[in-house]
Amino acid sequence: MRLIVARCSVDYAGRLSARLPSAVRLIMVKADGSVLVHADGGSYKPLNWMNAPNHVEEGEGRWTITNPKGETLVITLEEVLSDSSHDLGTDPGLDKDGVEADLQVLLADHPGEIEEGMTLLEREYATDIGPVDLLCRAADGQVVAVEIKRRGEIDGVEQLTRYLEFLNRDPLLAPVRGVLAAQAIKPQAKTLAADRGIGCVEVDYDALRGIESNVLRLF
Amino acid sequence: MLSRATRAIGTRSPLPILQGVLIEVTGKTMRVTGTDLEVTIRTDLEVEVLEEGTTVIPARLASEAVRKLPPGAVVLQAADGEVEITGGGPQFRFRELPADDFPKIAEPDLTGAVEVDGNAFASALSQVAVAASNDDARPILTGVFFESEGGSLRMVATDSYRLAVRDLPSMEAELSGLVPVRALRELKRTVGASTLRVAIGAREATFASDRGTLTARLIEGTFPNYRQLIPESYPNRVTLDRDALLDAVDRASLVAEDHIPVRLMLQEGGVELSVIRQDVGGETEHVPADYAGQEMTIAFNSRYLNDGLSVVDGDEVVLDLMDPLKPGVLRGTGSDDFLYLLMPVRL
Repeated sequence: MRLIVARCSVDYAGRLSARLPSAVRLIMVKADGSVLVHADGGSYKPLNWMNAPNHVEEGEGRWTITNPKGETLVITLEEVLSDSSHDLGTDPGLDKDGVEADLQVLLADHPGEIEEGMTLLEREYATDIGPVDLLCRAADGQVVAVEIKRRGEIDGVEQLTRYLEFLNRDPLLAPVRGVLAAQAIKPQAKTLAADRGIGCVEVDYDALRGIESNVLRLF
Repeated sequence: MLSRATRAIGTRSPLPILQGVLIEVTGKTMRVTGTDLEVTIRTDLEVEVLEEGTTVIPARLASEAVRKLPPGAVVLQAADGEVEITGGGPQFRFRELPADDFPKIAEPDLTGAVEVDGNAFASALSQVAVAASNDDARPILTGVFFESEGGSLRMVATDSYRLAVRDLPSMEAELSGLVPVRALRELKRTVGASTLRVAIGAREATFASDRGTLTARLIEGTFPNYRQLIPESYPNRVTLDRDALLDAVDRASLVAEDHIPVRLMLQEGGVELSVIRQDVGGETEHVPADYAGQEMTIAFNSRYLNDGLSVVDGDEVVLDLMDPLKPGVLRGTGSDDFLYLLMPVRL
């Protein structure tokens, strides 16, 4: 991660033209090549940026960043106040929301709360496109992929759709159906899920925690 | 030997080459290697060599093909990107996988290896492996922990609901490490033999016999401090016939699902075992037993109880208890080599 604090102006040409007049800003160049220009405000959102893949041409007082779409970001550096690089190493990724992780543990212990007669085959079932939260077997013997969210939204349905498409290629598992389990599921997500034959189950977190207290652990 | 090496191969490897086994023919020996990069199994066989060479073939297909050939000699011949497997008439041809893509795997490191009775070792492993977790979300719990303990080799496994501890006496070896249970479960079927050499290094554990070698990458991390989980004394003790209790739990399991516990009402003269499932029904029975302690009812997960009873030594078992919310310890009477600690379920 390279961090440059500099007085600079920025010109963007692509889908539209935009110019940031001269001011002191933070330029971030990430290890993947993406370049972001931040002001001292505006929370996480940069004023301008260019995602990787791109090409950075670092000239004297002038950087030209281009990408395959033909967009160009030109940063004119007037005064560099600080220029430092840091190796951040491999990022461990974002920890799942506490409630979501808890829900996964609870539902893994009590798959019958998702559907009557359902049993757990594997938690965090690994696939090439990411782990499926729970892989279960329904009372009728069919394999069921369960995606667990705190709030069920359209992206959860999309994610489960991708898993189902992948899992159904495995003749040992197919046919696999899907269930989106969440504390609350938005109507749009329910509609999309129904359209794709995916079940939706709203689970009561507090009630599940009550059940869990019966299951004692050594540590 | 093909099927033994194939047991190291994962079903969902992202690398296509890992669906193959490496076959190396040199001198008078054919070596077959299968790996998923975590577990590697090598098997050697003396063969009649017409021409030396190396190839990688699809593991499961080749293994099944050889298995289905009529009894007798099998010929493997690689040429023009294909491997021909023939024997007794049938002729299979499989496309070779690129041998250069097969990962370079270091020779098994048997430095400091100790020789153990393979059958005793496998038997001890099978006793503790039941308590290991299959949940990859907690990798530390998916291994068997080896350590030296008072002149014994100790094996420990826990999934946080139960804990199994087994001592193999008269083993002064300094072996220590956390070995994936997945690898250990393959040990008997792959390189298991009456004599086994075991080495646990800084990164890998190696098990070798005249049938081949199995190497497993150790699980990194600190194994839970299991000693503090084992109570020092118990005020209540029930002694009963192992098979009688096992049969009773087995019958109760018909009704109990995984999350419905089996209740044991402990009283003088025996144990009233029962299971109640609201929407289905229930089962009750009396199991004769000697009980010394306060009357109490304790409940256990039927599968976990069954697992412990299935692996405990002896015809008679002892279940030591403190109270209905503290772990119980199952042992064979007169045997201190193995204990199975089991957390109850709150009623």
